[in-house]
Amino acid sequence: MDSIKAFKRLGVRYMLLQALNFAAVIASGLMIWKGLGLVCNTESPIVVVLSGSMEPAFYRGDLLFLTNPASEQYVTGDITVYKVPGADIPIVHRVIETHDVVSEGYVAASPLGQKQLLLTKGDNNNANDIELYQGLDWLEKRHIVGKVRGFMPYIGYVTIAMNDFPQLKYALLGGLGLLALVQRE
Amino acid sequence: MYSAYQRINNIFALLSTCIFALLGAIALSSFVFTADPKGSLSIGSLKVYPGRSPHFKQLRKEYAFVNFEVHADLSPLFHWNTKQLFVYLGAEYTSADGTRNDVVIWDRIIRRKEDANLNVKGRNKYEFRDVAVSFKNVTPAHYTLKYNTMPYVGVLTYSEAARTDNAIPFPLAQERV
Repeated sequence: MDSIKAFKRLGVRYMLLQALNFAAVIASGLMIWKGLGLVCNTESPIVVVLSGSMEPAFYRGDLLFLTNPASEQYVTGDITVYKVPGADIPIVHRVIETHDVVSEGYVAASPLGQKQLLLTKGDNNNANDIELYQGLDWLEKRHIVGKVRGFMPYIGYVTIAMNDFPQLKYALLGGLGLLALVQRE
Repeated sequence: MYSAYQRINNIFALLSTCIFALLGAIALSSFVFTADPKGSLSIGSLKVYPGRSPHFKQLRKEYAFVNFEVHADLSPLFHWNTKQLFVYLGAEYTSADGTRNDVVIWDRIIRRKEDANLNVKGRNKYEFRDVAVSFKNVTPAHYTLKYNTMPYVGVLTYSEAARTDNAIPFPLAQERV
């Protein structure tokens, strides 16, 4: 009863304003994310490491910053995030073979038109990734989400925790929503 | 106006700002260290044998076997923001059809400064094969020793520590003894 009274006291106008504020926060977050993606030329400029195949360099929950400049070919040693068709999760592994194929219609002045065959391997794995390519023999440029440029440890563990314990996610979302509506500036 | 919620919020904001500023400063400090150590790399022997490939459509394929010697002291690369080094040895050559190749044949993860003085006499750790079936008519290969410095926080950097002086030609395939 008390809380309903509190809501009534705040008024409809105020509630609408708070809802609008909330929407603005979400929209600007989305804009920043998409803008960053545009600048970095990748669909997800920040990813969280989900597996231990690059240990001891990257552990589960570490944060990686990606770029995917259209003007650059991949070179061996690059750590790439790739997604092959048929696999749901993107994989973070290192390029260990590059083959710049001379294809028909290739113009010498534009390295971009050149097809590149890649082979990757996780630093912590014994074998290369051919088994992960879902029947493909090589990885190609179109499969690659981005190249790892920067690294920050642990921060991404929040998202892993939220995935493993969905209750946490709902509690957090509900709590934030309630606070945004009720709280008075 | 000073509710518990507001106090918690302020403390959390202050703490996270401090942590991110500190992380940023540490990441930037890496650029102060500009060590660029060089080493030497020599190829002892190079042999090509035919073999069976489990993965590829071409079942019979030629494999190259490389014996190499690496001397490089990479310990100057270790400073307070160096988590590990990834050192790798690659072969660069051009195939008969013009394909330019770069193949990593050996690598090592170095996690401590004490292990960073490399004196390795070894052979290729990974399969070394061409996209085509055979190494026939490919150009002689240059071998390079490169490394990737991986920080605790910040930017990943790459550099080259050694390169063979002359390109080494691939021999004709010999039958297995």
